[in-house]
Amino acid sequence: MKIDITEHNGAKVFSLSGDIDLYSSPVLRKELIFFIGKKVPLLLVDFRDVSYIDSSGIATLVEGLRGMMSHGGKLKLFGIPERIVEIFAFSKLDKVFDICGSLDDAVED
Amino acid sequence: MPSNPKYLCIVREVTAKVGHIHGIGEDLMEQIKLAVDEACANVIKYAYGGDVHKRIVIRYKVDRGRFEVVIEDSGVKADPEAIMGRRLEDVRPGGLGIHFIKRCFDIFEFDGKKKKGNRLRLVRYLKERNEDRYHGA
Repeated sequence: MKIDITEHNGAKVFSLSGDIDLYSSPVLRKELIFFIGKKVPLLLVDFRDVSYIDSSGIATLVEGLRGMMSHGGKLKLFGIPERIVEIFAFSKLDKVFDICGSLDDAVED
Repeated sequence: MPSNPKYLCIVREVTAKVGHIHGIGEDLMEQIKLAVDEACANVIKYAYGGDVHKRIVIRYKVDRGRFEVVIEDSGVKADPEAIMGRRLEDVRPGGLGIHFIKRCFDIFEFDGKKKKGNRLRLVRYLKERNEDRYHGA
């Protein structure tokens, strides 16, 4: 997995690519915790180039969501491939996360 | 495979290839791939307590309408009674992997005869299966 971190209209954008699994999710967790500690108001996670996610990746995002909410921030996901949306839906997390179609949708709300 | 999470990508590749060779559809193979990955990740985390220098043996058998995976380790014995995921409605980190395994495989059983470590047998029937039978209850 690769993480590119950029800014867009005041939001931090995490562009992820590749597989998010037990090996790579600690890297994502570390980055999320760093920005949660900085109390960033909006953190957007770009899933367009994510090919795979397992339970450790999902757990990392749930932890990130909780961390952001703890200081009144928001964490949104966008561009999730259909196959991965299905995993979120099965896990009943599609209603928990704010899932948007595109970066613009995620920023607009 | 060595019990290092960096090799899980290889397990996923091999699992997908085995399915592909036997003509199993891509959607089902995605589920099987995820389930096998989760089962191996559980071995790394729980049976070996994160020790990356142990060994996991994975065997595949596909015949007569079934996809079977046997995963063996020499780590701490699992307590089958204690293995349960969190309620899906209870949103918190962790506890999902077992749901991904059980929604995919029809048989999830530990071989009680194995003296040291665990031998987990997973079987997926490939025909006449009710796709909606498991909802993580």
